[in-house]
Amino acid sequence: MKRKSTILEKALREGRKTLSEYESKDFLKSYGIPVTREILVHSREECVKAAHAIGYPLVLKGCSPSLSHKTEKGLVRVDVRSEQEAVLAFDELATRMERNGKAILVQEMIKGTRELVAGMTRDPQFGPCVMFGLGGIYTEILKDIAFRVAPLEKQDAMDMTQEIKAHKILGAVRGMPAADLDLLCDILMKVGVIGMENELIQEIDINPLILSGSKPVAVDALVVLKPAD
Amino acid sequence: MTNPVLLGNLKILFNPHTVAVIGASENPGKLGSHVMRSLTSGGFKGTIVPVNPGAKSIMSLPAFSSIEEFPGEIDLAVVVLPANLVPGIFHECSLKGVKGIVLISAGFREIDDSQGAVLQKTLAELANKAGIPVIGPNTFGMVNLHIDLNASFTPEFSWLPKGGIALVSQSGGISHLLGFMAIRQNAGVSKIVGLGNRLNVDFPEMVPYLMQDSDTRVIALYVEGLDEPRRLMEAMKQTRFVKPVVAYKTGTSRTGNQASLSHTGSLAGRQEIYEGALKQCGVLYVDRAETLLDAARALSLCPLPKGGRVAVLSGQAGPAMAASDVCETGGMEIATFHPDTQRLINTLLPPLALRTNPVDMGPKWYDTSAIEGIIGAVMEDRNVDAILLLMMFASANRAAVSGFSDLLLKWKQRKPVVACLIAPPGIWDKEVGRLEEGGALINVPTPERAAKTLALLWEYEKMKSLNSVEPGG
Repeated sequence: MKRKSTILEKALREGRKTLSEYESKDFLKSYGIPVTREILVHSREECVKAAHAIGYPLVLKGCSPSLSHKTEKGLVRVDVRSEQEAVLAFDELATRMERNGKAILVQEMIKGTRELVAGMTRDPQFGPCVMFGLGGIYTEILKDIAFRVAPLEKQDAMDMTQEIKAHKILGAVRGMPAADLDLLCDILMKVGVIGMENELIQEIDINPLILSGSKPVAVDALVVLKPAD
Repeated sequence: MTNPVLLGNLKILFNPHTVAVIGASENPGKLGSHVMRSLTSGGFKGTIVPVNPGAKSIMSLPAFSSIEEFPGEIDLAVVVLPANLVPGIFHECSLKGVKGIVLISAGFREIDDSQGAVLQKTLAELANKAGIPVIGPNTFGMVNLHIDLNASFTPEFSWLPKGGIALVSQSGGISHLLGFMAIRQNAGVSKIVGLGNRLNVDFPEMVPYLMQDSDTRVIALYVEGLDEPRRLMEAMKQTRFVKPVVAYKTGTSRTGNQASLSHTGSLAGRQEIYEGALKQCGVLYVDRAETLLDAARALSLCPLPKGGRVAVLSGQAGPAMAASDVCETGGMEIATFHPDTQRLINTLLPPLALRTNPVDMGPKWYDTSAIEGIIGAVMEDRNVDAILLLMMFASANRAAVSGFSDLLLKWKQRKPVVACLIAPPGIWDKEVGRLEEGGALINVPTPERAAKTLALLWEYEKMKSLNSVEPGG
């Protein structure tokens, strides 16, 4: 519990509105939500070491609390397959990140084409609410999402997974295995618990939550803190 | 939590022996006269006490200058006076031991002037202290059909057929819309309640009360916004699936996206949150006024289907297609008949017709026994969970409805039957009325609405069975 709240407190002390991707996932992980294996590095040497520890292929991302929309800003390198490529990617990102510090996230690359979204929002009337839907770029375009008010029972989470129009992508389709619904529900319930236990959090956005085989993994995440009153 | 005295008095409020109308009038320009007409012409068996200091009698009933002057007890006071006089009246009601108030007067929280909200707060304190439940202010009132009590300013609500639907609405306009639709569609109602500004009776009070009300089988809610949504959720969760609750919620996101910091910017949709929250309480969520009424009616008069396999039996192909489309998008499946059923249908219909499901019975318009044979076989088919029965009038099929009536009346919806039997006014009205009265089916104005209604019955059944398992099981 201590570890969980220190991330939030540190961010608030620094007057920040958000946690970085790394911090966000670290926080989610402390609640048992599966996230990508990743290491935050600040130098080439650290980068090489991290790449070896995680194994190729990798994703490298610029990481800073002040950064959102990393893809649009050219701060993501995917499918990095060797030490040489890793060093090159690190150098490029580090140059672009000059103004935001040189923190680079070295991350396992999750293979999976089914992108979901899970999240939490603190509604002024309902309090913490959990969201689930189609992720990636489709979240904005199709708005195929479902909400429930936290805390969630297992059946509430199950209902959410069946309520979205695209619910069939959770089944066994095109040679892909069916999603592990128990794990998916567990994630949604935990997101609700985070909302209940942490008044300081205004929003959580796990997007994409990618199905790696049958297992959902948080590939990107953002925790937004509550504005000070 | 809500004051238990207040909840106890709610039962008296809806079932009074003596009703006072404070602000009663004979002048049709005053709401007090409409309320008096509602009570007197609605057939209320209890005592009506008009209160007006300037009158000796109103509508042939002795009038009193104050409630204090009336010698007996008063259970319910309907108040139709200017807002500034209401606190004094509440005080008098409290002294007199009045058990419930319907406060029709406007000019409280809903007005721009902040004095309105202050006045409402004063009233809430007075009422809560005295344990008096108050419907309103700023409402048309309420109607309890089963005791012929029309405590509203709309006498025509007494035309409503008595039945099992309780309608609780935040909007007077929507209540009137639904009330008059219900009259036209012969939808039986137990109570109509206009919550208005919700002084101390809100959805979280009404839902538990109606769950215990023996005249109510289904609760239909029209919701615009809630002050304490979590309180309603708690109240509803405790009683979920005791009786079906259907809700229609309007009002899209007011706050918009608030420049959401998340990269999706999609988390702000409040309407979706309402939808999710209501479903979480076992509420059937609908997005149209007519769907609210159709669903409530079906839930009060049809059994729930055991599965999602529907038989579409139609007098014409087009309506069958329209209905089948809606069934499928609504999560139902067009049933595959048992081979015995199919064989029988094949002997009764010529090959040119649609003989698999949906079934176009058109070629046998003249032959009521063939139509009866098809319906009979499909009703008994164990691959069929629900029936849609569609027939548009044509001069040649005039006798069809009376032809299959006896069979359906005998069968009495052992599986749900939702029908769309449509004819010019006066032609099938009697037959359809007899079928509805006898519990053989419900008739709905369009094939699409009939299909949607059936799909909602199935949705409710699924929700109920999924959530009835042991917690954690």
